[in-house]
Amino acid sequence: MGNEASYPEEMCSHFSQDEIKRLGKRFKKLDLDCSGALSVDEFLSLPELQQNPLVQRVVDVFDTDGNGEVDFREFILGASQFSVRGDEEQKLRFAFSIYDMDKDGYISNGELFQVLKMMVGDNLQDWQLQQLVDKTIIILDRDGDGKISFEEFSAAVGGLEVHKKLVVIV
Amino acid sequence: MEGAELAGKILSTWLTLVLGLILLPSAFGVSLGISEIYMKILVKTLEWATIRIEKGVPKESVLKNSASVGIIQRDESPMEKGLSGLRGRDFELSDVFYFSKKGLEAIVEDEVTQRFSSEELVSWNLLTRTNINFQYISLRLTMVWVLGVIVRYCVLLPLRVTLAFIGISLLVIGTTLVGQLPDGSLKNWLSELVHLTCCRICVRALSGTIHYHNKQYRPQKGGICVANHTSPIDVLILTTDGCYAMVGQVHGGLMGIIQRAMVKACPHVWFERSEMKDRHLVTKRLKEHIADKKKLPILIFPEGTCINNTSVMMFKKGSFEIGGTIHPVAIKYNPQFGDAFWNSSKYNMVSYLLRMMTSWAIVCDVWYMPPMTREEGEDAVQFANRVKSAIAVQGGLTELPWDGGLKRAKVKDTFKEEQQKNYSKMIVGNGSL
Repeated sequence: MGNEASYPEEMCSHFSQDEIKRLGKRFKKLDLDCSGALSVDEFLSLPELQQNPLVQRVVDVFDTDGNGEVDFREFILGASQFSVRGDEEQKLRFAFSIYDMDKDGYISNGELFQVLKMMVGDNLQDWQLQQLVDKTIIILDRDGDGKISFEEFSAAVGGLEVHKKLVVIV
Repeated sequence: MEGAELAGKILSTWLTLVLGLILLPSAFGVSLGISEIYMKILVKTLEWATIRIEKGVPKESVLKNSASVGIIQRDESPMEKGLSGLRGRDFELSDVFYFSKKGLEAIVEDEVTQRFSSEELVSWNLLTRTNINFQYISLRLTMVWVLGVIVRYCVLLPLRVTLAFIGISLLVIGTTLVGQLPDGSLKNWLSELVHLTCCRICVRALSGTIHYHNKQYRPQKGGICVANHTSPIDVLILTTDGCYAMVGQVHGGLMGIIQRAMVKACPHVWFERSEMKDRHLVTKRLKEHIADKKKLPILIFPEGTCINNTSVMMFKKGSFEIGGTIHPVAIKYNPQFGDAFWNSSKYNMVSYLLRMMTSWAIVCDVWYMPPMTREEGEDAVQFANRVKSAIAVQGGLTELPWDGGLKRAKVKDTFKEEQQKNYSKMIVGNGSL
């Protein structure tokens, strides 16, 4: 990793210098092959993450440029969305992108199904899952296009102070 | 010629001193109090150093360092609370929040991998290896540090290496000699004497100060002693206060020689590598051993690997299936004087021993605990967890359900499947499907 003494202002994260330093140390520890970026394998070396059903989605959301790895900038920006100083819209955007796998701005029926499948594994039949998905979309889809846009998502989830759950205090 | 004579004289004086001041007292189990004086001086010096460091470093960074031993504040609420207040409903889009948050917490700071590297100290103990935020504080502190380096490397290290050498040679020679005797109480008594003396010498070789608590619960013959594992030195520490039959793999090299010599005098249980894989065979041999009430208690480390002494990880159930009385022992090292954890992926045995011998000292507490037996209706895993909690509480260590084998292996998929099962139960909970 390069010179970590200065963190460029364009980082735009909610973290103080001290918090960035601590996260930097952690990043270095996780980067087992010292490549400067974290691959999925390096994430999966954490036992607690291996038991989390959504790990692949979280890593994908962090990886904003889509090159399959999370470099330090993406790491800080990603973690920053969980900061206590973040605003509601940022957090809702994060949650939205967990579902929006192809990043087209809409949660389609298929995407919702896939994410739900990750969370329940083989414990529910596919047709049960499909029922749940169809029901959710019917309830939330206001403009009738069969997909859930960010506005519809915020309307459903926001305002319940649920975004406060997406906070990790560094 | 004069040089050789002088060297010869120095060497013989040195050896006589060592013999008189250390070896003989060890044989009789008495202490001359030299190590106590050393420890007192050391404690005073380290206290002074801590005060100077705190004075020198600006106020706020000291506060930050001590307040957050971890990077983040973790939210330990279980899945039920974390998911939503009004449960029993269907799936909510916001459910994903819980998993993402847990995921990020694990990424930033997880409970498991930090146990496989040495503990970070809150205040520096004048050893370069524990220095994480080195800052120049004052000339005096640096001088003390330099003095410390000289003392450790030039005075203590040769002494300790000599002692270790003498200790191991005596052990090998002594046990081989005792092994020649016919079986009987004389042999047992002599073998105990040899073991104890050599262990005491080796402990002096590490400048070890050990406090034994609750000696009345010391493991009895025919029982099994279990303890948390931090390094190979654990064995040394326990055998200084009593004799145990050890269980382990047959090694080659120096370890192999020591093992073969020890087994002549005392019935330890050494396994060939191939035998270890056959669990029934192992259990059978151990059962035979404890069935004979006259045999020494077996010493087992159920974690299976070295952990860094801040926590106790999963106890493997194999040791608890043998039956018999379990005598738990908790071992806690004081990291201020020297870090005893053996990070086997970073250091091999020889570098590890050198690091041990160049630390200030090894200080630890050993607590013997009341014996435990398996209760009615309790299976081996529950019993293992019960013993593990008892040891964790006694030693002031955190208790983790994770397997120490995760140092080198991946988590089994069953963990993820369990999480998935829990979640599914919740969204189907009210049977609305």
